[in-house]
Amino acid sequence: MTLEEFTKIIVCYGAQSDRWPAAVRDAAIDLTATSTEAQNLLAEYVQLEALLDQQQVPDFPNLESRILSQTLPARNHALIDRLINWLLPATSVRLLWRPVLAASLPLFFGIVVGNFFSFGVDVEAIETAEYWEDELYMLSLNDYSEAP
Amino acid sequence: MTDEELMLAICNGDESAFHTIVRTHHKPLSHYAFRILGSKKDTEDITQETFLRLWINADKWQPGKSKLSTWLHRIAHNLCIDYLRKKDNAETEELDDHAVAGAENNTKLEQSSELERLNKALGGLPDNQKNALVLCHYQGFSNKEAAAIMGVSVKAVESSIARAKRSLRKQLASSITDNNKNPKTRAEL
Repeated sequence: MTLEEFTKIIVCYGAQSDRWPAAVRDAAIDLTATSTEAQNLLAEYVQLEALLDQQQVPDFPNLESRILSQTLPARNHALIDRLINWLLPATSVRLLWRPVLAASLPLFFGIVVGNFFSFGVDVEAIETAEYWEDELYMLSLNDYSEAP
Repeated sequence: MTDEELMLAICNGDESAFHTIVRTHHKPLSHYAFRILGSKKDTEDITQETFLRLWINADKWQPGKSKLSTWLHRIAHNLCIDYLRKKDNAETEELDDHAVAGAENNTKLEQSSELERLNKALGGLPDNQKNALVLCHYQGFSNKEAAAIMGVSVKAVESSIARAKRSLRKQLASSITDNNKNPKTRAEL
């Protein structure tokens, strides 16, 4: 590893080695063992980060109660929204059966309807008619003239 | 309960699940907002608004895509960016902010000059550099998570962090004194 590559790692990932990419961590640690320049650079960034850590944020003693006491809007969405959220939940893979069920419903509906309702169409009559039409057509193709 | 179960409960209107998430996440979120905005009042407003957005949009969180803390930071980040843009455009708000900043400067007087210089250096960073530094250094996110929060590429985050650190290193050079005296050993790494 070159010093330039090492500098990039220190700058982009910080001075703590546990944040360095695993693929280059060992090489970077080896470089700090052998290169004085790498040691100096690392020490400089350790100090910079220690300095950054000195910056404190104030306490917000009333913030939690303020958030908890706010009036939350009702989560009762419209019926269609709730139905969509139930069918296509964004929060769990375990509920994948719901969209699958929703997609299968038209198929089940079609089978049930097709099984119980004829909608006024007599299937047997159609089949018979088609049979006779075919029969007549075949007969028409025959050559009934007797050869002399 | 896991974050996923809590969020599912929130989707069903469970306020106790919302309270649990607020108790767990309000501190890191308020720290993030304060480091970006630098004002206590604005920080409280933004943090409260972040949790309100969580309540309203709970069903939009996708656990497979991001951790809850990452998603919450993204909401807070967007609110902070919007706030800073509006602040730049509104003169009246600017005056109010000067009043708040003035009150905060009084407390800063009690701090050491080193800390004052640090605050000034951090405050002077461009927004994208400050965001990248705060997310990775103070909030402990990886570069990839910071990129997801900021809505930019990982390369852009790395570039922002590099620029921020070089700028800070330059400005705080006199505070970083012992760099050649106590280099880290291999064992310390």
